Amino acid sequence: MPELTIAVAKGRLQDEALALLAGAGAGVSSQDLSSRRLSVEDESGRYRFIFVKPADVPVYVEHGIADCGVVGRDVLLESGTDLLQPLTLEIGRCRIVVAARTGVSLDELGMLRVATKYPRIAAAHFGARGRPVEIIQLSGSVELAPGLGLADCIVDLVESGRTLRENGLKEIEVIDESTGRLVVNRASYQLKATPIAALIDALRN
Amino acid sequence: MDHTTEPLSRIPTGMRYYFGQEARLRRIVEETGMTVFDGWSYEEITTPTVDYYSLFEHGMGRAEAHRAFRFTDTDGRLLALRPDVTSAVARAAATLFAERERPLRLCYAAPVFRQQPQSHAEWRRESTQIGCELIGANTSAADLEVLTIASEFLRRLDLAGDYAITLNDVGIFNGVAERLELDPTLREEMRQLIDVRNAADLERFLAPYTSATEAQAFAQLMQLSGKRESLVQARSVISNEQSCAALDRLEGLWKVIESLGLADSFEIDLGDVARLDYYTGLTFKIYVNGAGYRVGSGGRYDGLTASFGKAEPAVGFVVDLDALTDVLHVRRADLSSTRALQGETPKLVAKGPNGELPAGKTGIPAGHLKDRQECLSPDSPSDPSAVFVEALKKRAKGERVSLGLER
Repeated sequence: MPELTIAVAKGRLQDEALALLAGAGAGVSSQDLSSRRLSVEDESGRYRFIFVKPADVPVYVEHGIADCGVVGRDVLLESGTDLLQPLTLEIGRCRIVVAARTGVSLDELGMLRVATKYPRIAAAHFGARGRPVEIIQLSGSVELAPGLGLADCIVDLVESGRTLRENGLKEIEVIDESTGRLVVNRASYQLKATPIAALIDALRN
Repeated sequence: MDHTTEPLSRIPTGMRYYFGQEARLRRIVEETGMTVFDGWSYEEITTPTVDYYSLFEHGMGRAEAHRAFRFTDTDGRLLALRPDVTSAVARAAATLFAERERPLRLCYAAPVFRQQPQSHAEWRRESTQIGCELIGANTSAADLEVLTIASEFLRRLDLAGDYAITLNDVGIFNGVAERLELDPTLREEMRQLIDVRNAADLERFLAPYTSATEAQAFAQLMQLSGKRESLVQARSVISNEQSCAALDRLEGLWKVIESLGLADSFEIDLGDVARLDYYTGLTFKIYVNGAGYRVGSGGRYDGLTASFGKAEPAVGFVVDLDALTDVLHVRRADLSSTRALQGETPKLVAKGPNGELPAGKTGIPAGHLKDRQECLSPDSPSDPSAVFVEALKKRAKGERVSLGLER
């Protein structure tokens, strides 16, 4: 029986997260990695990994089904879940930004239409500035929206800024920085204190 | 959908039915709790289900009260379905029971309603709180009494070894925040960093105030819970008067917990900084294996009854009966399948002919009473552990105890 269940966000962060965990003594065999199984044990048998969509990592951890998780800060901000975040991981560094078409001034608009995959972050950002906004929630290719007239601007995750430039957008404002985070369930943190402290220590070094 | 075609089968989010085995189990858990409270001389109180919203604003603080279901009375005043029981108990203590002899010992098991659940994992909007309040005693013995009651309750549910109670004292954080002269915004920022155990950002936050070594030591201290060594480490990092007084109080409690043989189920968690505006001293949280969220919490709230016109010390705790039932229901199902193979019938708690409980389920480990008896002289009633050893012995025999606590 594995000591800890760790939820890992599939996609952008997955490879870096697994490399980091392997460095901390929680490595998955290449055979398991190449399989299509969504739940695998590490080579020591101490950890069980489950691979889920990034937005589902906080859900599994908050319910205590997974004790810990590795997920981007952007996902945590958007989910508003109540989790412990004992460690910032130097993986998946990016920015959450407001971007608009080059040459368009947002200050001239009395009401902003914002296309985003992050409705909560966007609403909090503009709400703090007292700007009325209509949030248009999309699930991908957000960069298309301003050019096609669906929205005046977007709130999105940016790594290099290349996608923005190639779609005629420019960064207007950085809302927040995001990197990977180790998140832990509040009950597991107390009831499985020893293995969790060991994992945090191993990842920190 | 037109509301007239809304199916009658549908029930609102966060509400549920209980029936069959689960309903019976829930009743047993409730009765176990109420029996334990009665054994410590707590009197049952039922408070109004509907009360003025302002009661809860005063009693719980605005942020918590906001989660209540609200509606208006015929005269336009704002009412609420009670989101907690403690507020009404504190009011009763200051009004109805103002002239009664202290300490007051009151207990309850009652549903509470919250329109906004606390977290995604805590989906219920109706849950039953089972809890007790000890009002009018400001001693560590009073703190210890409610901790002992919580332990006995969990052990009687056969949860020994499967629960943890974490202890802290709000004076530790408050003392540090005061020494750093933080304004309310920065204070809240520091509280949040500690609350999510974000040691790296906490170190950065502290950088302008102190040396790097001290910031690191403090961040480490807030990150992990532990036993007595946590207090030793804390003293090497924290030196302000208010925090030290709080550390003294915690250490005093810890010594007795150790001497009662209960230290295995307790942790000191200096990073537990939830609801600092509400509590005034000891705070604790109860965690049980199998529940992803804490199942109970409590502490000292000496400031509460003052809002109702009679300032006096108080300490208490609540446990979420439904969360506890969930855990026990799953465990019982696991147990039945194992025991069925061995041809046994599972029992929640095995009782003796007079309703007494076997040692080990009484709040103290089996075989411990005799050892304690030998090393404690009976003529030292000022030693709080001696008083509690006596009380626990009586409880093990199913006898009722009523501790005489100083005001």
